[in-house]
Amino acid sequence: MNICQKERQLQGKLSSCIDNTVPGPLCCCSHQLPRGTGLRMFTKDFELPTEEELTVQEVNVTTSSLRAGAFHLGKTCEKENHEFILCREEEKDPRKCLTEGKDVTSCALNFFRKVKKSCLEEFSQYAHCLDQSSKDLNYRYCRNTQAIFDKCVLDNLNLERPEFGYFSRAQVIQTNRPKPEGYTSVEYPDAPPPIPEVDRARAKYGARNYWMT
Amino acid sequence: MAARTQDLPPKGGYAPINFTRIPAKSYFSGYQLFAGYAVVTAFAGYMYFRTYRQIRNEEIEMRSGQMAIQPMLIAERDREFLKQMRKNRVEEEKLMSGVEGWEVGKFYSEPIYKTLPDNKFVDPIVQEFFAHGPSSAFSRKILLPLMS
Repeated sequence: MNICQKERQLQGKLSSCIDNTVPGPLCCCSHQLPRGTGLRMFTKDFELPTEEELTVQEVNVTTSSLRAGAFHLGKTCEKENHEFILCREEEKDPRKCLTEGKDVTSCALNFFRKVKKSCLEEFSQYAHCLDQSSKDLNYRYCRNTQAIFDKCVLDNLNLERPEFGYFSRAQVIQTNRPKPEGYTSVEYPDAPPPIPEVDRARAKYGARNYWMT
Repeated sequence: MAARTQDLPPKGGYAPINFTRIPAKSYFSGYQLFAGYAVVTAFAGYMYFRTYRQIRNEEIEMRSGQMAIQPMLIAERDREFLKQMRKNRVEEEKLMSGVEGWEVGKFYSEPIYKTLPDNKFVDPIVQEFFAHGPSSAFSRKILLPLMS
């Protein structure tokens, strides 16, 4: 009896939990799997963090509220966010970035606490407007409430709303985190020297394309 | 019986048959149609490019808002994922406790990845998250949203 038949004997046990409608290799023999399917069940030697390590006060806030406070939140928690994302991208392992993730969550919580103390009315009105005005929480229908909220936050918390392209741009960040093992930074030894940074005036007539400016 | 009648042509013969062609009435000639198409397209292009800038800026703003909160959401997701993986491992241990030779996370002592070290994290397939629950959870959360 080969291994695949032995596996099918167990199928009665496994598939009592999983219906056969689930596509994928859970009810198939692993030898029949196409290569590269990540049937990675975690072994006992694999270090998974405990429940206590993972239990943290979460930000209990709705989507529309998140969207309403997104720009200011992003500006306030910029450092923590950068650290977390850098860690995540370099290590490619969620277990190694738990502390950074907790920092991000606590920073967000503090931001919302501050807003709740000072600008709750304006904030909730803005979030309500975003929620009700469009199906995908578009910002363009709620400019009035946005202006009021921005003014309130600027007065009370001294937070300026970053310009609209700020988070879509690539940002270079300075960090003290050590590089992970096996990190190779790309270097070009014969690259020409970079262009010196000079204060340049804006282009006089913008871009030459009429539809871009 | 009545007298036999034959189906003969009328006296003087049949009237002449008019077989001249009557094509459909065309309101515009070919060139006029092309011209009309060009005019309408030009006008539509103009109106489109007038709002193109505005739409592009709105999209950038939406994306910026999304990216600003993305790290927080990813952190939450990671924590929940790791919690569930621990629960799944415990559940698998219970499930396969009576089976001889079964080691948790492996296929009868054969590890899933041969060349990777034991502690290397490899993102599992989506079904792993829902492995020990009803398949309706998977269908509702993953199958339908990804397919739509």
